[in-house]
Amino acid sequence: MGRTLPSITQAFLQEQASLARFRRALRREDQRALDDLLASARHHLAASAYASHLLPFEVMLLAMLVEEHKRVLRLQSELDILRGHPVLRE
Amino acid sequence: MPTLFAWLFDAYPSGNGMSVWLIDREGQSHELRDTFSPSFYVQGPSDRLRDLSASLARRRALVKLRMTERIDLFLDRQIEVLEVRVRVPGRLPRLFQQTSRAFPDLTYYDADIPLPQRYVLERGLFPLAYCAVDEVQGSIQRIEALDTPWDVDYELPPLRVMTLRLDGDLQDPSRSIAPDSDRSSRGDLLVEIDQRRYRFPRHRGRQLVVGVRHLLERFDPDVLISAYGDNYILPRLLRLSRHYGIRLPLNRDRKQAVQHKGAHSYFSYGRIMFRNEQHTLFGRWHIDRQNAFLTNYYGLDGILEIARVSGLPVQTVARVSTGTGISAMQVATAQRRGVLVPWQKRQPESLKTGLDLFAADKGGLVYTPIAGLYEGVAELDFTAMYPSIMVHYNVSPETVEAQCCEGEEVPELGTSICRHRIGLVPETLAPLLEKRNRYKTMIRELPSDDPKRQRFERRYSAHKWLLVTCFGYLGYKNARFGRIEAHEAVNAYGREVLLQAKELVEDAGFRVLHLYVDGLWIQRAGAGQADYDRLLNQIQTQTGLRVALEGVYSWLAFLPSRTEPRVAVANRYFGAYEDGSVKVRGIEARRHDTPPFIKNTQLEMLALLSQARGIDGFRAAVPTVVAHAQEKLRALRAGEIPIKDLVVTHRLSREPMEYRVRTPAARVALQLTAAGVEINPGEMMRFVYVPGPEKVRAWEDYPSDRPYDVEAYVELLTRAVESVLAPVGVDRSTLDLWLLGQCGYWGPPGVLPPPGADIRFPLLEGSGAHAHNQVGRTVSGSAHEDLLSDLPTPEAVPLAIDYKTPIGVE
Repeated sequence: MGRTLPSITQAFLQEQASLARFRRALRREDQRALDDLLASARHHLAASAYASHLLPFEVMLLAMLVEEHKRVLRLQSELDILRGHPVLRE
Repeated sequence: MPTLFAWLFDAYPSGNGMSVWLIDREGQSHELRDTFSPSFYVQGPSDRLRDLSASLARRRALVKLRMTERIDLFLDRQIEVLEVRVRVPGRLPRLFQQTSRAFPDLTYYDADIPLPQRYVLERGLFPLAYCAVDEVQGSIQRIEALDTPWDVDYELPPLRVMTLRLDGDLQDPSRSIAPDSDRSSRGDLLVEIDQRRYRFPRHRGRQLVVGVRHLLERFDPDVLISAYGDNYILPRLLRLSRHYGIRLPLNRDRKQAVQHKGAHSYFSYGRIMFRNEQHTLFGRWHIDRQNAFLTNYYGLDGILEIARVSGLPVQTVARVSTGTGISAMQVATAQRRGVLVPWQKRQPESLKTGLDLFAADKGGLVYTPIAGLYEGVAELDFTAMYPSIMVHYNVSPETVEAQCCEGEEVPELGTSICRHRIGLVPETLAPLLEKRNRYKTMIRELPSDDPKRQRFERRYSAHKWLLVTCFGYLGYKNARFGRIEAHEAVNAYGREVLLQAKELVEDAGFRVLHLYVDGLWIQRAGAGQADYDRLLNQIQTQTGLRVALEGVYSWLAFLPSRTEPRVAVANRYFGAYEDGSVKVRGIEARRHDTPPFIKNTQLEMLALLSQARGIDGFRAAVPTVVAHAQEKLRALRAGEIPIKDLVVTHRLSREPMEYRVRTPAARVALQLTAAGVEINPGEMMRFVYVPGPEKVRAWEDYPSDRPYDVEAYVELLTRAVESVLAPVGVDRSTLDLWLLGQCGYWGPPGVLPPPGADIRFPLLEGSGAHAHNQVGRTVSGSAHEDLLSDLPTPEAVPLAIDYKTPIGVE
């Protein structure tokens, strides 16, 4: 199927490919962290496509932040539970 | 016809040909003559070449013209050129100058290669070659080298050495502003030869000239080695000789006058540099230890080795940077191949888009290590990485961006390198690399007390300097065979090779702590020699380059930046290898402006620590180090340190009057200028910090009874101690407490808190959890920390050291 614009998955893969050199020069433990982040951005491909943003990479960064913040919130609530004064967040 | 066997000592144009000096096995010198008619080549439109021929035809006695074909390196084919052969070698430079001025639109080749080098190249010789010479009445019929520059264990002629220096501390005498009434022996000329020392009082000018003349005639030395001979002793002797009308045979060749080159300042790598004046001799060498480039690293053995492999005269090698050496070797390769050597480079960079530049214009790969103290770290280094890349991947100015054949693609850049011919640079470097490797092997095999070993080591380090500069010259726009694209290709390969090595290392389960251009610092618990050998083998097989285990550290510290303590810097680290030797980079002991007292104290502290094993050993040794620093501090405050150990050296970066801020160097320069000493930008200013409004005092003019500024040196010393102890988290306030008082929070000076605790705060009562706190900044005793303490312990604790004030370089 002919397309004027690349699909969001294509755009994502292109962005990921353009980071190949950055990734290669990272220490291996840092490469794993980067892979996690990139994977987390893929959770929001649908929303990214819907956004039709001019710079897909900005939306990818935001998607990563969303996943990161979810993790912070989850850890915060687990901490509160372990401290013995759980706070209901949900 | 008798054959003379002797070493080639000196050769230069003289009269109608060349004067050639040889020294035989008995140490006897021979002066012979040789004919030599060098030529330069001109290329251009045929009508202009005709005009040139017509104008040169008037000097038929001197020149011989013909059209011929020579190879152009970049076109890779022969081109038609006019050959201008000059019958009297000494006339070539002037003739060329006149020609190029009259015909500036033509292209000139082989025009500015120094004549001594051209002579040895044409005869297939090299400086200090052992030769067989057939001569008739002092004129050479045949001269042939019996050894090659690539011999490793070669014989050298017996040389008679005379040393000249002034009595007293080693100071630049041309800056001396002591009054003439000073009747001490300081400044007397000391001459040593044949294990005897002669003293000539500086006030008796006539006696001085007569005395030196007598020694020169009696001993006929081959080499004069001086300290400040170029800018003081020789010019002063020559002046006295003229004043008293006493002939002084400094040259062996009586027909020649001593050659003089003036001083000048120049700009190099973003710094103003200063080159002092030079006085060179004929038939005899003069080497000024104070005016030689890096001779301290490789001494006379190294100078002779560079002369042999580069073909440059010994006195030239002793005075120029090694970049000139490698450039001369490329010229030699070109001449051997019949390739034209361009006079002025006409090789602009080819056009690149912004994105190309973005990809190409990068240097080597440099990581930011994580600051802290580590143990069990191994350092792997690529051996002579950049030159090896040039040889292995055939990187040369004429092979990059190949159009002639398919070539091989350079990583990252997308351009390719020609594979069907060997580049000029690789051809030049390959034998040098091979020779270097042979020295390395031989040094390892010789017992440490073998006198040969030291000689080999010096030659080996001379090669190192030759090879280091060959990389810079590849991109230097004014180098004869430099081209920035070749420089970029080498960098691209360098990054690729380092990353390949990193991947192999990580595949083998190692953690990469640091990468620095051609070195890797890696760590894996329980790794042994067999693991490292396997790794080296793998890297060598995959990259094709030699890599060596520099050593395994029993501890290694990466230091935080002075201006941003949360970040480590790539080139500030120190560590002790398992054999007890210490490697130091970027701290005070390595800086050129650090006074000897501070440098030695820091090295002594590191020597104490080098006996320690691992992180625990380092921590346990801290009290000893602090005690040592305290003792040095006491001596400093008591005024016991000799002034010469407190001399600081700064480079003057501009004219003394141009300074708006009075830096120490500017103050010293003004003091010297006021006393009538001529000072140029780029010169080194040596001074001592003194109390009072003057702040600094020139070392050359330091009154012996004057006290130094104790507080200024206490500050320098404290910073040096701080660098050594920073890896275990010692900050400035703790250090001040230790050095000035008799205690710390955790016990007597030097006693550290348990690992992980903040050094500045005592443990809070009853909360043992703090001892395991990795973050270190305890604010309250809430349940937070109990949970954090269960987190896995990282191998190294990142440091957060507060420097109260960022310390910059003045």
